[in-house]
Amino acid sequence: MFINWALQEINLKIVYYGPGMSGKTSNLEYIHSKLDPSLTGELVTLKTKEDRTIFFDFMQIEVGRIKGKKPKFNLYTVPGQVYYASSRKIILNGVDGIVFVADSQRDRMEGNIETLLDLENNLLASGFSLETFPWVVQYNKRDLPNAEAIAVLQKKLNFFNVPHFEGVAIKGIGVFDTLKSVINLVIQNVQKQL
Amino acid sequence: MVQVKKLKDGSRQVILTARQFDEITKVLSELAAKTKASTILLADISGQLITQRGNTEDINTAILSALAASDFAATSEMAKLVGEDAKFKLLFHEGEKRNVYLSNIGDNFFLVVVFDVSVTLGLVRIYTKKAIHSLLEIFEESEQGEDASKIIDKDFSSMLGDMLDDSFK
Repeated sequence: MFINWALQEINLKIVYYGPGMSGKTSNLEYIHSKLDPSLTGELVTLKTKEDRTIFFDFMQIEVGRIKGKKPKFNLYTVPGQVYYASSRKIILNGVDGIVFVADSQRDRMEGNIETLLDLENNLLASGFSLETFPWVVQYNKRDLPNAEAIAVLQKKLNFFNVPHFEGVAIKGIGVFDTLKSVINLVIQNVQKQL
Repeated sequence: MVQVKKLKDGSRQVILTARQFDEITKVLSELAAKTKASTILLADISGQLITQRGNTEDINTAILSALAASDFAATSEMAKLVGEDAKFKLLFHEGEKRNVYLSNIGDNFFLVVVFDVSVTLGLVRIYTKKAIHSLLEIFEESEQGEDASKIIDKDFSSMLGDMLDDSFK
């Protein structure tokens, strides 16, 4: 978190984390397509030729002034593929809140768990833990026929019982609810820290 | 300005007052004049832009600082991997019309200087080094700043909730 007194701005960093192709970039693309252009900057996507995120996606959004202060949210995604582990660690630097985008497909459960453990390890290295850090889960791709039941996903992934949302990111379902939730958690956490 | 970081050994706050902000602005303005840099950014290592000088209308500086921070972080990791203990102190990208010079300022901040190819790198290096020295002195002056807890009160959350609902329709 970064507070600029001179400009009365509060800058917060939110990272979308999850296994490869779970829908992290799709979340940002949807948000960017729907928000009024006055509230959002450009969406930067650093991708491979195969359209996979190679380093990160980035977008800044703001909602206007609240009691004279302007909150600004920097949204990042991480590359999901296993071999980009070092890059994911880098993008987490200075994070204030996390959205874990899980792939609901039954055969992606292992990928979800592996990435979640990877996230916990990276947070631990900075003195944080999923147990107390502000984060939410989005179970994406709910529209697919092989989507696992929510109860099973909850049991395997949401051991800290953080807010969870069902999503179909390419259609925008659940995208804004997820974002609102993580923003609220982050602000509550900021209030506690200050 | 307040940058709040939570570390393993407890919280640490780096507070920069409005006066320090003014001093930083002066240093960067002088650097811009001496190097004829088209754009100068000062950011923290996580990519948050702190302040900027020069032509910032044609460039999305929030994106530039996020990319530059990742650039630094990626090369730091590379340094570790190849067994280099010290972090790389500077990065230089050479273009056909513009060059970009990135230099870290202590452990928490860095500077981005975008300049025309007609300006020699040596000149930019000398003046940037001087500017960094001044900036480090400014950062070292710790003073009592504003009360951070006043910036977000209980009304803030509910008003933010309302604004989010309006924006995210």
